[in-house]
Amino acid sequence: MSLLRIIQSPAQPQADLKRVYDAIVIGSGAAGGMAAHVLTSQGMKVLMLEAGKKLDIDKELKSMEWPFQHPRRGGMPPDHHALTLNEYTIRQPPYAAGLKHSKVFSYVQGWSGPDYSKNIVVNEKDHPYTGTNYAWVRARCLGGKTNIWGRLALRLSDYDFKAKSHDGYGEDWPISYKDIAPYYDRVDEYLGISGVKENLPYLPDSIFQRPTRLNAAEVTLRNSLKTMGRVLTPYRAGVTTEGLKHNKYRSRCFGRGACARRTGGCDIHAVFDSPTGLIYPAMDTGNLTLRTNAIAREVLVDRTSGKARGVAFIDAENGRSYEALATVVVVAASTLESARLLLLSKSPTHPNGIGNSSGHVGHNFCEHVMGPSVTGLVKDRIGQPRTNDDGRPGGFYVPRFRNLSERHPNFIRAYGFEGGSGTTMFPGNAHDTPGFGAAYKKNVRDHAGAFISMGGFGEVLSRYENQVALDPVMKDRWGIPVLRFNYRFGDNEKKMCQDMAETAQEMFERAGFEIVSIDRTVLTEGWSIHELGTARMGTDRKSSVLNQFQQSHDVGNLFVVDGSSHVSASCQNPTWTIMALAWRSCDYLVSEFRKGNL
Amino acid sequence: MSDELTRRDAIRLAAAATLAASVDGPDALAAQAGTAARPAATTFFTRAELALVDELSEMIIPTDDHSPGARAAKVAGYIDARLAEAFEETDRTNWRQGLKLIEDLSKQAGGRSFLESSPEQRLALLQRIAGPETKPEKAEELFFVELKSRVVDAYYTSEIGIKQELEYRGNTFQAEFSGIDVSQER
Repeated sequence: MSLLRIIQSPAQPQADLKRVYDAIVIGSGAAGGMAAHVLTSQGMKVLMLEAGKKLDIDKELKSMEWPFQHPRRGGMPPDHHALTLNEYTIRQPPYAAGLKHSKVFSYVQGWSGPDYSKNIVVNEKDHPYTGTNYAWVRARCLGGKTNIWGRLALRLSDYDFKAKSHDGYGEDWPISYKDIAPYYDRVDEYLGISGVKENLPYLPDSIFQRPTRLNAAEVTLRNSLKTMGRVLTPYRAGVTTEGLKHNKYRSRCFGRGACARRTGGCDIHAVFDSPTGLIYPAMDTGNLTLRTNAIAREVLVDRTSGKARGVAFIDAENGRSYEALATVVVVAASTLESARLLLLSKSPTHPNGIGNSSGHVGHNFCEHVMGPSVTGLVKDRIGQPRTNDDGRPGGFYVPRFRNLSERHPNFIRAYGFEGGSGTTMFPGNAHDTPGFGAAYKKNVRDHAGAFISMGGFGEVLSRYENQVALDPVMKDRWGIPVLRFNYRFGDNEKKMCQDMAETAQEMFERAGFEIVSIDRTVLTEGWSIHELGTARMGTDRKSSVLNQFQQSHDVGNLFVVDGSSHVSASCQNPTWTIMALAWRSCDYLVSEFRKGNL
Repeated sequence: MSDELTRRDAIRLAAAATLAASVDGPDALAAQAGTAARPAATTFFTRAELALVDELSEMIIPTDDHSPGARAAKVAGYIDARLAEAFEETDRTNWRQGLKLIEDLSKQAGGRSFLESSPEQRLALLQRIAGPETKPEKAEELFFVELKSRVVDAYYTSEIGIKQELEYRGNTFQAEFSGIDVSQER
């Protein structure tokens, strides 16, 4: 088909381990990819280290393969296992310990079509962790979790950056919305985003491409919410719906709907992913060298200056140790892996780990809590002709409405809802419809497409005591100490979740939907895959790790540009903010590098 | 030993022969899948079990005016292939016991195996074990929940289930999203 272009990724130059690169970027996800883009486009010579492989991703994803074209209808081989909510609840990490399966994956591999993402996510057997219950989802391959992310691309506002000024809790960010707004604009235009302008001060608009559309039930809910002063907007998707003239690796979205049927992924790369969106274009500048299968073990330190001089890494395949050298080290390994690497990088100058004179590395760990959800039946959709509702990268988003002008008596901060309705490839009601026979079959057919549901994502407060540290005993497959979690939801999160379930029910009832189910279960810590805050920014070097440019307070040529830098979680999905912040910080890095300050 | 077939055997063999024509094993499934890898294991059900599962699946999702049912969608063969390679031995044991239970209940109720019973007797038995579907307690009730779950998964992921029964319209290139463009409101 002419719409499918086969474009090869650029050839990889060999990493030169004798040379001193201008910068080493550790990690190739949203943050690492953005760092590579910003630094190489301004002429810096960059070595990127990625712990996993470079996959032939289009052969993995096969976005349009039908279930019946796959021997297991998209399922994994029988000796592969995806952890269940029950296992995350009754077991303790390391969750794969004692399981006989050859491979054990996190819960996302329990979603439909897991065979297409099994090489993207990690085998928990190789990557154990210890401590409190936590559903830690990791992707070790070029592009990391951006290969399968959920695509919801939201901005934060000063309700988030200045939340302490609003309610007195925690810390304000060392930046305001006006500092990051131009960088959100750049991310929008460079990567593409679909959405509808709503002019909300608490959810700023992006520079949107062609929006996705709502179906009749979603418009009913949108109009009903308006009468309550609330908003429902089409999913703000990090997807190019009009194409990007400057990027030959990505196609515009053609509404095939694969993203909603699978764990994620898009084999025409209309959805942003770091390899095609950022890394391949960076390689085309001639300034980026990529070294995959390179597990960063330690940030190396110059003993006289105390500055970073490079990175020690282990080859994931041959197990050997190597050193790569650079003027600047940019850590972008993901919130928890970056904290782990800083803690692993102990030296006489940095006995608690590099950049950790504050003792805050690993602390102030926060994220989003999820679980409460509602499902309703839209009666006038029963028995209606089929529509194509899932040929879009997402359904709808209901932005926060709590603690804006009024103060909720039971909790601070807020939550939003993600939801959708209409026809899906597999009729979600088939398992819940009782009975059998012709009546059952007709019931399923008539009701498929007549349901609407949404679930909440709430801010987990940043707390010093919620933290990760190195486990003193357990090591991963490569002999590297693993993380030990000491992290639990608190009272504010629990009260917020009660309110989520109540408001979700209220909103569906007001819209005239018949309530089918209300789920009040709070899912295991980690479920949102939005972990943040383990190396936070701040103005006070005693209580923060990084300055407003994600530069270490202690080590001037060390930057940490991923979600670990976030001061609070807000309730908006973090990917777009991670990339806007990384862009801003790397612009600063380039100017400091040129001045010879690093 | 007798060369004469009993009536019961004749019916059983006839049913099995019909099945051989209508139900494909994993080889055929893999062939359908084109380039996809062939599952390592082959089949698990005996011919009689396969015939029984085929009939039960068709009773759960029958052919009607709208579309073909579970038999045409080769649901029993798909379930067989998955059980043959299942990682947990208990999956296979549960199915073998569950199917035996249905045969035992059928004989207790009417003196005949399930497939030899009248359509009314078969329906009565299935209704009996499907009744407490949301709160299954007895072994046969628990087995019905498992049976239906597998039939539902297999049918609605089949080509017949997706394209004919549900008339699914997605998984195609579209120039524009369907639905209502709310950016044009006001």
